[in-house]
Amino acid sequence: MAVEGAVLCKDLDLYNCIQCGKCTGGCPVSIRSSLNPRRLIYEALMGERFNPIERTEIWECTTCATCAERCPKNVRPYEVVLELRSNVIESGRVKPAVRDALESTFMHGNPWGRVREKRSEWMGDLKVTILKEGDKTDLLYFVCCTAAYDPRIQELAKSMVTVLDKTGVDFAVLGNAESCCANEMNELGEKGLFEMAQENNRELFDKYRFPSMMTTSPHCFHAFKNEYSDITFDIMHYTQFLSRMIEDDKLTFKGAIAKKVTYHDPCFLGKQNKIFDEPRHILQSIPGVEYLEMDRSRERSLCCEGGGGRMWMESESTEERLAEIRVKDAVAMGADVLATACPFCLLTLEDAVKTTGNEEKIQVRDIVELLVEVV
Amino acid sequence: MDIIVCVKRVPETSESDVKIDPSGVCIVQEGLVFNINEADNYALEEALLIKEKQGGTVTLVTMGAKASDDTLRMGLAKGADTAIRLDDPAFAGSDGIVTARILASAIKGLTFDLILTGCIASDDWASVVGPALAEMLGIPHATMVTKAELKDGSAQVSRELEGGLLEVLDMKLPAVLTIQTGINEPRYASIMGIAKASKKEIALKGLGDLGLEEDQVGKKGSKTTIEKLTLPVQEKMAELIPGAPEEAAEKLSGILKERGLV
Repeated sequence: MAVEGAVLCKDLDLYNCIQCGKCTGGCPVSIRSSLNPRRLIYEALMGERFNPIERTEIWECTTCATCAERCPKNVRPYEVVLELRSNVIESGRVKPAVRDALESTFMHGNPWGRVREKRSEWMGDLKVTILKEGDKTDLLYFVCCTAAYDPRIQELAKSMVTVLDKTGVDFAVLGNAESCCANEMNELGEKGLFEMAQENNRELFDKYRFPSMMTTSPHCFHAFKNEYSDITFDIMHYTQFLSRMIEDDKLTFKGAIAKKVTYHDPCFLGKQNKIFDEPRHILQSIPGVEYLEMDRSRERSLCCEGGGGRMWMESESTEERLAEIRVKDAVAMGADVLATACPFCLLTLEDAVKTTGNEEKIQVRDIVELLVEVV
Repeated sequence: MDIIVCVKRVPETSESDVKIDPSGVCIVQEGLVFNINEADNYALEEALLIKEKQGGTVTLVTMGAKASDDTLRMGLAKGADTAIRLDDPAFAGSDGIVTARILASAIKGLTFDLILTGCIASDDWASVVGPALAEMLGIPHATMVTKAELKDGSAQVSRELEGGLLEVLDMKLPAVLTIQTGINEPRYASIMGIAKASKKEIALKGLGDLGLEEDQVGKKGSKTTIEKLTLPVQEKMAELIPGAPEEAAEKLSGILKERGLV
């Protein structure tokens, strides 16, 4: 199934492109793969016909949106990648791990192949209010599939609940009714599955009464804030909420973390949604923390390669992984802790600590895991 | 190459806690997620690959209630041409032989070169339907097929035996092949694809349409009945192998070899 360049140009406003190359220049994976956003647009502008199945480089994209961020003409080059991905999705010839993640999301409401009835097992002995239909809460905590099922990320959800208890806010979770936001399915190009998830989630949210929602993951936050339509509640990433709690003195500190801490801006929190200050505010409020700023920080943060469906795809490249570069930079700065605020970043960076042999030198922690130690 | 693929809708129970229904002869279905039987999915993919390479048609046949339409639509979305669902209250309680009888009565009127189906169903693990179907249709069959090369009127198939051995057979077509998992990598059926496939008609046939009598189907026609379903007794056993890593590794590899696990 071919995709016509001319159709892409029309649908994605590619005629605005001046071929300056800032997109490819800024693309984090372009240094370790053959992904070239500028060339994709060039081919479209020349009216070429794409055969997406042959364009294996489109699966390297992490949808970090650096290309869109840097484009001086407001073109969104990664949308070309998404269109080509959609075409491959419709043909059904996707890699088995991607197929399994998509099918699992459809059948079980999470991409990890786990059953819905075990979605709340992360709670263990913690007392967490699970909303029933018609119930009301001030703050709905949207846990995220990865936090619900991945043993490492379950620690984040547990820490989050403990910290939220300390703020005194009235909060609750959806329990087993919670289903994948499907952001990654959208980024993989499965538009139909994303639409279906969006419809189901909106119907689900309508069954409860909550003015605000807070997410563990920047990906869920991004989906609800930017991709879902007709959202009736106020949506926040947890760093926004907890930063405000610290400002309002609802969270106080009774301990210290005497460590050098640096922060990796997740692409979906930082680049895509401009949330840079709140995570830093939280870290810099923790007593004892000596906060170090990475050179590639904020909009220049180096993508960890966890987004854009990459959690289910291995890159074809044998070059050094971006997460490994990131970890090495943090170690070279003398940081004891590499903090982040995204489950995918945490998993990829932690893996990189192991593969670069830096387990004795640095730890990767989510901001909430640091907070829970001292509130 | 006109291919018929027999598929079954089964519950996904790899991680679910399966509960026995109060009747004692079936499981509680509430809360379970259903999908195409895994081996049937490989059979479907194999049929689609053959169709792509050699042309022809793929017809899906299933015996099941309305919910089985979901399974058929998924198959149509992947590229099957037509689908037939066999359903009748009289079919309830059918064992494998009866299921084969019902499928055979639907299939015998069709033109086909090949029938593919999964080698085993992940709910009852019986492996009965494939061979029984072939016998009832009076055609040869091969089970646990891991490779099939098809020519006009004949096929060379590889069957999986114990210990990694493969048996290679030359067969005349038409034939029934029951497909082993792993023969290929099944494709994905997108949500939009499945929605589009909903427009294709699914033919529905009951007892009367198939020319069968009530005493030939359901519990009445079955030679086997389920008397009781029980969960296995859960036991725990863990052998801790002491010693330094090299010692323990040697002991462990001895145990694995002894038990024929490597």
